[in-house]
Amino acid sequence: MKIPRLLLFVILVAISYFIFKAPGIFLKQPIPSSLIVMYMFFAVVTILLWMTSTEEGMQGLVGPIKAMIEDPSKKTLRNIVFLIVPLLAGGITYMQLRPTYEAPVELRSIHPAPPSTVKVFGKTFNLMTLENPYRKVEKEDPAKFAQLVKEGGEVYFKNCFYCHGDKLDGRGHYAHGFNPLPANFTDIGTIAQLQESFLFWRIATGGPGLPKEGAPWISAMPIWENFLTEDEVWKVILFLYNYTGYVPRSWAK
Amino acid sequence: MKRKLLLPVVLSLIISAQAIAAQGNKENGKAIYDKKCWWCHGEKGGGDGPAAKFLNPPPRDFTAGWYKFKTTPFDEITPADADIFRMISGGMNHVSIWRGMSGTSMPNWGDVLKEQERLDLVAYIKSLSGLEQPQKPSIDYKNQVKSSKESIEKGKEIFKKMCTECHGEEGKGDGTKKLKDDLGFRTWPRNFTKPWTFRVNNDPKEIYTRISNGIPGTQMPSFADPSSKKTLSDEERWHVANYVASLGNDVKKAKDDTVLKAIRLIGELPDKIDDPKWNEAEPTSFWFIPQIIAKERFFTPSLDSITARAFYNDKEISILLEWDDRTKSIPGDEKAKEIAEGDMLEDSVAVQFPVIIPEEMEKPYFGMGDSAKPVNIWQWRSGKKDSPESVKLMNANGFQKIEQRDVAKAGLKATGVYNNGTWRVVMKRALSTEEKDKDTQFVEGKYTPIAFAAWDGSNGESGSKHVMTTWYWLLLKPATSKSTYIIPLIVALIVFGGELLLVRASRK
Ligand code: HEC
Ligand code: HEC
Ligand code: HEC
Repeated sequence: MKIPRLLLFVILVAISYFIFKAPGIFLKQPIPSSLIVMYMFFAVVTILLWMTSTEEGMQGLVGPIKAMIEDPSKKTLRNIVFLIVPLLAGGITYMQLRPTYEAPVELRSIHPAPPSTVKVFGKTFNLMTLENPYRKVEKEDPAKFAQLVKEGGEVYFKNCFYCHGDKLDGRGHYAHGFNPLPANFTDIGTIAQLQESFLFWRIATGGPGLPKEGAPWISAMPIWENFLTEDEVWKVILFLYNYTGYVPRSWAK
Repeated sequence: MKRKLLLPVVLSLIISAQAIAAQGNKENGKAIYDKKCWWCHGEKGGGDGPAAKFLNPPPRDFTAGWYKFKTTPFDEITPADADIFRMISGGMNHVSIWRGMSGTSMPNWGDVLKEQERLDLVAYIKSLSGLEQPQKPSIDYKNQVKSSKESIEKGKEIFKKMCTECHGEEGKGDGTKKLKDDLGFRTWPRNFTKPWTFRVNNDPKEIYTRISNGIPGTQMPSFADPSSKKTLSDEERWHVANYVASLGNDVKKAKDDTVLKAIRLIGELPDKIDDPKWNEAEPTSFWFIPQIIAKERFFTPSLDSITARAFYNDKEISILLEWDDRTKSIPGDEKAKEIAEGDMLEDSVAVQFPVIIPEEMEKPYFGMGDSAKPVNIWQWRSGKKDSPESVKLMNANGFQKIEQRDVAKAGLKATGVYNNGTWRVVMKRALSTEEKDKDTQFVEGKYTPIAFAAWDGSNGESGSKHVMTTWYWLLLKPATSKSTYIIPLIVALIVFGGELLLVRASRK
């Protein structure tokens, strides 16, 4: 069966609209409506260009409209359509003009590029080469490693769980008071993507240590250099990977 | 024939398998406990894990053998397995994204642990205090009195006699007594106007269960116990449960909408706190979280949300702040001292704005600004027995760099009233001031970052120990202009005209 061209046009436009709306519906990260209007404009123009690129296509699209206007037997349909279209146009304009008082959308980069060096704990660390000093213990002495992980867990359950959650899911009992929400370590989008040196930098310097694109002014992540020792930071990192079962990204990959 | 036989056989197999499963396996339970639970509940279940000292209420001590939220009657200490299973699974209530036991740090494990794993945990936890099966069955709800106006009225009378000494006149938990649990930890009676803070939830059946069985280990008594002075009949317990369930006030719950809209008034702004005009302003609520970010941190808050309303005219802006606080803290007052925790200080509330309203998204750091971007802080304090309430104006570049400023010169005013567990404070200032580089200048239609903080002086809060919010927005909502209605009308007419032209063209 051949789909009528006009119907096809409507379907394609509807699909593009849905695609632009999808991030808002499924990921709770809506595209701002002004951007959607712009995207839709380009989508409609593209679809039109493509559909009218052949004479036949042009006819298929314009034909039914022409017929509706000219064919006297379709008068009632015409009148209905002619009433609906201006109302729709007025309605859409009103929706656009109507003042809305939603909170402005604030975009931030979740994993901005780290600096090459960081000065914490009275030392300068080269983040390009920095490794977790305890990582090698994992193979050399599993029993000792288990002990280190447990110590890291204690650091976590004294300092991090009320934000990042008892289940490491970013939903601690105070998480709901923050925006952005605390990172969800069980999500493949956080520590599974990162190197231990990146975590070291983030934990030691916290929200205020972020570059501008990370929106440091709203991140509630504390500056842990003020509360923990260098040793404790490395141990809590071991715990995060151990509990979630992820492996840190290494330089090789 | 064969098929018909198969079904009952399979069914009975499933049922017996479930019966076995319902027992739970202690050893498996211990393995899970040692990975997930000991951090709070302690290595041996003593309620003394590494996280415990950051928590109020404290994690349950499983060696003591009492459980708060059980369905077995008051004279049966052992909970049903299903009770423990349910509290581990969670999800009965929630505060925003938190689906564990509301108002506590006990998470909901239903989403990460399988049913069998949770049953194993029940078996293990019970073994820590040698609990067997309960001798008495759980209470039932066969005489439930459905909620109705009459029932709620009757419940209210009973409530006044039986519950207000702890739960307060209006049920906001602002009682007259200092309450401690059996282990000596401070407990705060539930605020019934905030049903999302109920450990279980505010279904009348649940409330009836708590009233009938009490909450073991706490001062919340059983009202079914005939030997106590406070016995209520079965029917009376249903009435009071219906009343308690009717007290929920959704306005106090923070929603997704995080814009506080100031409404434009022609003429004077309401001067009095109890001016009925305030009901016309749109309330917006925000979650409080304790200050757990910078030194000195604070982990045992008693305040959990704040509701704000605002008006403005062409000269001034006025903000009404309302928050439930169980205690009116007036240092020097003997009565207030009786229910305070430790040294009592004043109650207080503050709002914070960036001194320069950002054009882009870059704001000052939400915790009192940063070295590059200062914030304006308006703070009201409740006063002491022999000194009245007061207002402070501060500019801060981070919490270590605070400048005290002249309140009168900036024209900042604030005043507050405490009534039955709720503070209401109104703050007022001119939209623009003389010191434009030091005071936030309010402009109609401009999204202005706003943050809140509060101190409960009876809960040991002062200085950096307080509750706070992150940045939200204040908007001086402009009146809708006429063109908003006229332009769409014109567009519709133009389109219609276009259609007519099209028809004419096609006729030719
Ligand atoms: C007051 C709440 C709070 C506490 C306490 C807290 N964090 Fe965070 N953390 C956050 C927030 C909010 C974010 C997300 C914003 C950001 O990236 O800065 C975050 C982000 C992170 C990230 C970045 C993850 C990523 O994918 O980039 C790491 C790593 C982290 N936290 C580790 C920790 C550790 C370890 C602790 C305990 C020592 C801790 N946090 C304690 C709030 C908190
Ligand atoms: C972050 C800390 C924390 C963790 C982790 C935690 N709990 Fe809890 N749990 C608590 C607190 C706090 C309470 C007490 C709440 C109260 O008194 O209202 C509690 C209460 C309980 C109760 C008692 C409910 C009642 O009716 O009295 C049970 C059962 C329980 N937890 C089981 C578990 C199990 C099983 C795990 C591991 C799967 C676990 N908890 C992990 C903090 C925690
Ligand atoms: C002697 C003080 C006291 C009296 C009297 C009292 N309560 Fe309570 N109530 C408490 C305390 C304390 C708690 C909090 C216990 C906890 O969870 O730690 C509480 C909690 C509750 C809860 C919370 C349930 C949940 O799921 O969170 C309900 C419901 C309740 N009380 C109802 C009542 C009713 C109804 C009355 C009167 C018939 C009453 N209480 C009388 C002290 C009291």
